[in-house]
Amino acid sequence: MTGRRVRVAVTGMGVKCPAGNDPEDVFRRVLHARPTAAVVPGLAEAGLPVRFACTVPEFDLAPYIGRREARQIDRATALLLCAADDAVAGAGGAVRGPGHRAGVHIGTGIGGLPGMEEVVYGHGERPMGMPVHTVPKSMANSPACRLAMRYGLRGSCMTYATACASGTNAIGEAARRIRDGELDVALTGGVDAAVTKVIVSGFARMRALSVRNEAPELASRPFDADRDGFVMGEGAAVLVLERWDLARRRGARIYGEVAGYATTCDGAHAVAPDPQGAMAAECMRLAIADARLTPAGIGHINAHGTSTVLNDLAEAVAVERCFGPQSPPVTAVKGVTGHLIGGSGAVEALVALLCAARGVVPPVATTASTPDVGALDVVLGAPRQVARRPVLSNSFGFGGQNACLVLRPAP
Amino acid sequence: MTGAPVPDRGELARIVRETVSDVLGTEPEDIHETTDLKGDFDIDSLELMDIGARLETALRVGIPVSDLTGAATVGQAIDLLADRLERPE
Repeated sequence: MTGRRVRVAVTGMGVKCPAGNDPEDVFRRVLHARPTAAVVPGLAEAGLPVRFACTVPEFDLAPYIGRREARQIDRATALLLCAADDAVAGAGGAVRGPGHRAGVHIGTGIGGLPGMEEVVYGHGERPMGMPVHTVPKSMANSPACRLAMRYGLRGSCMTYATACASGTNAIGEAARRIRDGELDVALTGGVDAAVTKVIVSGFARMRALSVRNEAPELASRPFDADRDGFVMGEGAAVLVLERWDLARRRGARIYGEVAGYATTCDGAHAVAPDPQGAMAAECMRLAIADARLTPAGIGHINAHGTSTVLNDLAEAVAVERCFGPQSPPVTAVKGVTGHLIGGSGAVEALVALLCAARGVVPPVATTASTPDVGALDVVLGAPRQVARRPVLSNSFGFGGQNACLVLRPAP
Repeated sequence: MTGAPVPDRGELARIVRETVSDVLGTEPEDIHETTDLKGDFDIDSLELMDIGARLETALRVGIPVSDLTGAATVGQAIDLLADRLERPE
């Protein structure tokens, strides 16, 4: 490949997630590897086998969302709008250009199911008593279209549902739209807020969740020998992506760039990852090649690392397939945040870029020893200093969904 | 429709203003007889249906869509409702 390619700058970041409600708080909490999982009263009272989760620290919605709108949206949409407002405010005049050149690309794995669960509990006996706003509130594209409405953005407004890879797919697809010349600006990221009785039970029924009820803070331990499942989380992150030259011209603060992206599918099993990690490895290779790098150019890996037995094993195999026996340092944010499903990829892209820019890889929270993941260089115990180089951020979802981003810190 | 007592116009006005203000995220004091929901609050059709559904529940009376869309002001809507309560369909 030759020729100049449009570069995609990250000029704004916003986040509402268990590790904190602004990017610096989240960065610090992840760097200090302090877990966030705790008992959730609603789950405990329902007598579920899993009584804990990672929830967003309480904050005042009023500065972001008025009472009129608050009644019409669900928690996921609210969290997304708040994260987006912070991102847009931080990015300065990014969205002031022509509306049709600005788009919204959002990932959600669970969409409006939590809201529909509430409606069924509240109005199941008499469905015609349900709130008038039930459909627009629970449709899967509600977060994305509410965001487009808020800023009057009139370019492509897309919602990606690729389970746990949704946030990563959204950012990658948004970057492509800018690269391909369709958009100048995109608000992109992911969200889910599914810490509910039915949805937590659903994952528990599959034995995908940790049942370490006696010590929730020790439950999410990606790659650890004693891991027993993921911890459900909730939250949103939004990035402002912008054509590099336009961002430079307006003197924007540039955190870095979305340099590479790829997505593949195992095409094999509804939920289990391919134990050989073939297409996950291919996805990493393609994303790295898309960034015009080789694996040796990657400074660290922000792993999907869910803390389930199967994911972490398959991911370790896939990393070795891509990188050989000497992997770059590997971290996994979910040790702190739990698994935000559609929100994860976005929160992790944000954290990964800040880490790459600062040349530091956080240790995986709680994880003590990693005997079954072979040669994987999992960072344990303390942060590791590394060169300021691009980071590979992985997300793998139910359905065999694979999505990888390469994020390069600003020079 | 039912044996429930029909609220007088003052009581009806209070119920309507509370319902409208709840849907619009404002205070009942902000809603007057002369308030034009479209012109003053840019109310959308779904919010109007929301108000109608809530009033149907509160007043236990069927409210045709035309009652909701036909009134130019809150005062006119209250009049239409009072009429509806006197002569339920």
